[in-house]
Amino acid sequence: MKSWFRHPFARAMAALALVLLLGFIFNADGAFFKWGTHSDMYRAISVYGILACGMTMVIIIGGIDLGVGSILGLSAVLFSLLAIRQGWPPWMAIPATLMAGAVCGLAAGGLIARFRVQPFIATLAMMVFARGLAKWISGGQKISTVIQKANGDFMNVPVPAVFDQLGAKILHGNLAVVTVIFLISIMVCWIILTKLRWGRFMYAIGGNEEAARLSGIPVWAMKLLAYGLSGLFCAVAGICQAAQELQGDPEAGVSYELTAIAIVVIGGTSLAGGRGGIGLTLLGALTIGYLEKILSINAVGEAARLMLTGVIIVGAVLFQRMRK
Amino acid sequence: MPCLEANSNSIPPAAEMPLVEMSGIGKTFAGVRVLEDVRFELSPGEVHVLAGENGAGKSTLMKILCGVYPDYEGEIRLAGRPVRFKSPHDAFRHGIAVIHQEIALIPDLSVVDNIFLGREPVRRGGWLDRSGQRTKAREILDQLGLDLDERQPAGDFSVAIRQMIGIAKALTFAAEVIIMDEPTATLNGPEAERLFTLIARLKAQGRGIIYISHKMEEIYRLGDRATVLRDGRFINTARLPDLPEEEFIRWLVGRKLDQQFPPRRASPGATRLEVTGFPLPNPAGSRNNVGAGVTFRVAAGEILGFAGLQGSGNSELFHGLFGACGDEVGDSVMLDGRPFRSVSPAYSLRHGVALLTNDRKGNGLVPALSTARNITLAALKKFSPRGWLRPKSEQEAAATQRDALNIRVASLDQEVGELSGGNQQKVVLAKWLETAPKVLLLDEPTRGVDIGAKHEIYELMNRLTATGISILLITSEMPELLALADRILVMHRGRIVAEFDRTVATPEKIAHAAMGE
Amino acid sequence: MMQSVLSTMVKAAAVLAVAGMLQPVSAESANPAKKWTIGMSQCNLGEPWRVQMNADVKKAAEAHPELHVIFKDAQNDTLKQRAHVEEFVAANVDLIIISPKEAQPLTPPVVAAMHAGIPVIVLDRRVVGDKYTCFIGADNKKIGQAAGRWIVQKLGGKGTIVELKGLMTSTPGQDRNSGFREGIKGSDLKVIFDVDMKWLEPNARKEMESALSRFSDISLVYAHNDPGAHGAWLAAKAAGREKNILFVGIDALPQEGQAYVKQGILTASFEYPTGGREAIENGLKILNGEKIEKEIVLPSRVFTAETVDKGGEWLK
Repeated sequence: MKSWFRHPFARAMAALALVLLLGFIFNADGAFFKWGTHSDMYRAISVYGILACGMTMVIIIGGIDLGVGSILGLSAVLFSLLAIRQGWPPWMAIPATLMAGAVCGLAAGGLIARFRVQPFIATLAMMVFARGLAKWISGGQKISTVIQKANGDFMNVPVPAVFDQLGAKILHGNLAVVTVIFLISIMVCWIILTKLRWGRFMYAIGGNEEAARLSGIPVWAMKLLAYGLSGLFCAVAGICQAAQELQGDPEAGVSYELTAIAIVVIGGTSLAGGRGGIGLTLLGALTIGYLEKILSINAVGEAARLMLTGVIIVGAVLFQRMRK
Repeated sequence: MPCLEANSNSIPPAAEMPLVEMSGIGKTFAGVRVLEDVRFELSPGEVHVLAGENGAGKSTLMKILCGVYPDYEGEIRLAGRPVRFKSPHDAFRHGIAVIHQEIALIPDLSVVDNIFLGREPVRRGGWLDRSGQRTKAREILDQLGLDLDERQPAGDFSVAIRQMIGIAKALTFAAEVIIMDEPTATLNGPEAERLFTLIARLKAQGRGIIYISHKMEEIYRLGDRATVLRDGRFINTARLPDLPEEEFIRWLVGRKLDQQFPPRRASPGATRLEVTGFPLPNPAGSRNNVGAGVTFRVAAGEILGFAGLQGSGNSELFHGLFGACGDEVGDSVMLDGRPFRSVSPAYSLRHGVALLTNDRKGNGLVPALSTARNITLAALKKFSPRGWLRPKSEQEAAATQRDALNIRVASLDQEVGELSGGNQQKVVLAKWLETAPKVLLLDEPTRGVDIGAKHEIYELMNRLTATGISILLITSEMPELLALADRILVMHRGRIVAEFDRTVATPEKIAHAAMGE
Repeated sequence: MMQSVLSTMVKAAAVLAVAGMLQPVSAESANPAKKWTIGMSQCNLGEPWRVQMNADVKKAAEAHPELHVIFKDAQNDTLKQRAHVEEFVAANVDLIIISPKEAQPLTPPVVAAMHAGIPVIVLDRRVVGDKYTCFIGADNKKIGQAAGRWIVQKLGGKGTIVELKGLMTSTPGQDRNSGFREGIKGSDLKVIFDVDMKWLEPNARKEMESALSRFSDISLVYAHNDPGAHGAWLAAKAAGREKNILFVGIDALPQEGQAYVKQGILTASFEYPTGGREAIENGLKILNGEKIEKEIVLPSRVFTAETVDKGGEWLK
């Protein structure tokens, strides 16, 4: 097995096991032992997880993407506008939204790859810009099935079927469609990162950009690819978010970038780039998801929740380093 | 006074109280025994060479001495008193200073600030004693014969000067023992000379210097005694003037190397690379046309050596030819009779030109990737038809290279960052060979490589040229240049100022030309 | 093609930006007939409820051609809002309407405006002291209480409640909580699960999922805002339990709470009025020299399936 994979994976598993142990202890009168609790958690973490997929590639290539939450919001609004207000069929609305997300990612990636803007700055700019764009095209209001008529009255249009289909649970309500989409995203990233030349290039660039460049690797194209894919995953997440909420909220995804980064880092992917993997991100998503779920089923208050989350994130990261 | 006389001329006797005495030192890492019953001794006013192949345990021994590894077996005595350092800081306070290969100065801080970093002398009330610092720094810099503005940022100075600033830093803390780990690895001739003068002064002040180096020339020039380690064991300590070089090498590699340099049998073929008026990029990366450009030609199977001081432009020439600086340069290069455009590394590699840079950590290796993946990195297209990786053929190719170059790794999946310097260098070489180059640009291919590995690299170069590959070689080690190169070009300020055939080249001629005389 | 879309977008953005910069000037010069200028300082247009407040102000003002309203959005930044008020004073507007972000730091500029002879109407949130012309706002605590009493009646005094709180570190959250608890006092209603959902729908959904997996019997969900109630409903629907649970929310914006009631998602939504219309009406009185009350507490309505089409039912 690949040596970079073996140890971090085991450690990420251990961190997850630790959180699960918490769940066994604080099981909220047995609620933790019901399958529904787990299935709900998988649904709830899926949108964050999809964002973390793109984030993993960006971090591996040695960057960071602060724009994911905002691009998610923009995509949710755009998808709702197209599917509800414009009445576009899904086969048009979905590709259009995906394209918009990818364009946002490519724009940030272009700044980084071609004009050598720091990833932090370029994606921070995208974070602000995309949020503004989301508010602008939505007029600051949620785009739902309730539509204001010219005379100021409101009317209700039916929810497009695609929202119900994407927001539903399958297998007798045991598995959310968005969770399936999350798992597919993980698979796609796994193929890119481990099976394709592109992935190797990303690791090499994150590990030593100059060495990668001198080895003839198209560094700027790979960066464009990573940020573009991140934007694409944001759009996927935005569509999932809209489908679940039955509306496009221009405020959707605020501060999601932090959760996405936390998922990647808790998994064990190095923020310095060049090390990590998508399997780790899956474990990171489960760790964060279970942590939130355990706090939630025990109805822990907000203040205590924030403090506990902080402590446990640090604990998990320290735990992963303990081996040395 | 006979007593005084005896002391000033001869090698310091080991009989007086040693500065440092290490005995029975042992160390185990994760079950692997890396040091076993090693002893080492340093007298005041002595330069004691610590020698050994990469992985022999030199670094570990020194890290024990300077407090990096606090848990070890055995005993250390400092001026007769037993000590056990808990941290580098602890060792530092006891007068043990390390001058690293890559000196850790903060480029944006001034020389003074760097010298006093971490132990700023303060006046009452915690205010920095700025003028006091400057006076003290000035004093020490003068002592070292360093004439520079101590208020300038350290990053403005060359590697050599930065290294001396590092030494000044050590001296301000009254370091009695100074460990120098390959201090000349990144220095050119005159710079190294300055360092040697400085070392002589430190000796005269009665300080002890532990000197680690792979360069035979300087070992014999500077060293009073040498201690050799091999495979974590103590081999021997001897006074250098009494130790024949052949014997010394036998201690190092554990067998007899017939010759340091394998015999070179050149049989140059047709013209491979023809460079006419090639403009040099400046170090910042953009092109600026210094003079009329560079003109030369290389035949197939030939090794063309490049000599010159730092800043002469030969590294820049290699980068420019390889296309590492981007930008097209017209039709000034012909490869096998066809125009070759130095536009990008990718283009060069496609057309069979590869560059081994002089900085394997900085831009040669991807330390987090495995050995196999580093080897296949530049030729990955070969192993990924239509973009899909073929791990099996990658492994096979890497294994072939490993065997051909005798790369010593536990497994090809081992991260390359964990390998020793010599093996890392072989991995970089393997990476370029995997691209099946016709022209190899080698910039300091043996830097930081131990003697055994050096020998293997020399032999490899012979084998490669025998298959028709042309090699362009930069090396700052004169014997290496003279022994390997079929022809030698000397560069000075971006121009080729002299050309020598191997039969007529001498160190003196080359040095003169390199200085622009 | 992507390029052309992008360049069109950039162009559109540029035109908009320029238009935005020019707007106040041209509006002023083009309408000499406008007798009065009103400065409206909004603390944050990121919330639909505040967007609604501005919309209400605008709609009410449009009915009076002599009024010209300048809107400023402080984007949740106290200092920015302070600067906005000072700009209004410098521009010598005839009346200021402010919905302040925070009481303490926004009191001095309001006092300064009063000293400059400009009347100030404070909307929704208060400033410190009594140096303002008029305060218009609703009472979260009373609305919470009314919701509590209504729920007691609806459930016949018995049942299990999940309370999805806004944010217990915010005053509206605290008031909607304590009012509700007073409202259900003395009944057999039990709050079995209460957590913060930070006013956000996705969070409300997650918390409700937890409540659902813990408790098999939930009579009603009381959420501190309508999106929260909607999120809870989505969770219940996914679990196939939405038919057995009642959902009650607060705010009753036309496109949110009222619409959810119409769709049969919420059983009831309690209005938290924006006061936008009332601000303009009372502002007009001030400008015309009429006397008005200093404290105006806005009445609130409840919307249920029966009353939603008739404009709700006023609470006492």
